[in-house]
Amino acid sequence: MTPSSSFPPPAAGSSAAGNFAAGSSAADSPAESLIADGPLDLAGLLAGAHHPAAGAVVLFSGEVRDHNGGREVSFLEYECYRPLAIKMIGEILAAAKEKWRLNIAVARHRVGKVTIGDSAVVVITASAHRSEAYAANRYIIDRIKHEAPIWKCEHYADGTHEWGNNCHCHTVTGDPAKHVYEAG
Amino acid sequence: MKIHVYAGLKDYFTPEFELAGVVNNTDELKTRLLAINGQAEMILSACRFAVEEGFIDNDFKLHEHDTVVIIPPASGG
Repeated sequence: MTPSSSFPPPAAGSSAAGNFAAGSSAADSPAESLIADGPLDLAGLLAGAHHPAAGAVVLFSGEVRDHNGGREVSFLEYECYRPLAIKMIGEILAAAKEKWRLNIAVARHRVGKVTIGDSAVVVITASAHRSEAYAANRYIIDRIKHEAPIWKCEHYADGTHEWGNNCHCHTVTGDPAKHVYEAG
Repeated sequence: MKIHVYAGLKDYFTPEFELAGVVNNTDELKTRLLAINGQAEMILSACRFAVEEGFIDNDFKLHEHDTVVIIPPASGG
């Protein structure tokens, strides 16, 4: 048996990263850029995410807040299993592009220390109409949060830290590979 | 067999280590890991396993020279 990820194959003709369709006005993005070691340039990513056929562009930025569960958070630290995270995010983007016929689907996730107010993850979707762009954006971020091998450690103001807020879907589904999503 | 662990699993195991001897599948691997640290039982039950950047299940035949990555539940975003 050959090991494999649990996602549908990318749509025919999609790139390995699944970021940009042929004819997209956005610059190409190598798969390695799906994971970022430094700050995310939201304005730059948005500036590159316009398409002549897209009437709607949605940008989601997941940002670090200063509290969680009643505790004061100082910063977060993310780590990932990079090869598989890149592969899975690329497949998630490709699946979203096919399902909603997106003109553009972009995602980028930070690793390392991320301070309060900084963006830890960004997802940009562009499509002809807003309903598809919103739905696809939610689908992409939900799957990244639940499935991509990326983890965060919360560092608290009292000096303690905890790997937390993990996906708990396995307690419902009984299978670490099966998830329950808020979005339809 | 080389073992790599991430995130909360590092509270129970060193990030990278080697297991000697025959380990045929993920169930046997879990047994070996719990022999090292039995307190990891709960988190291991929620983990997935990967070889060569692909997820595997218990039907996958492990080999001595495999590098197995143990993947706890994600918490990206």
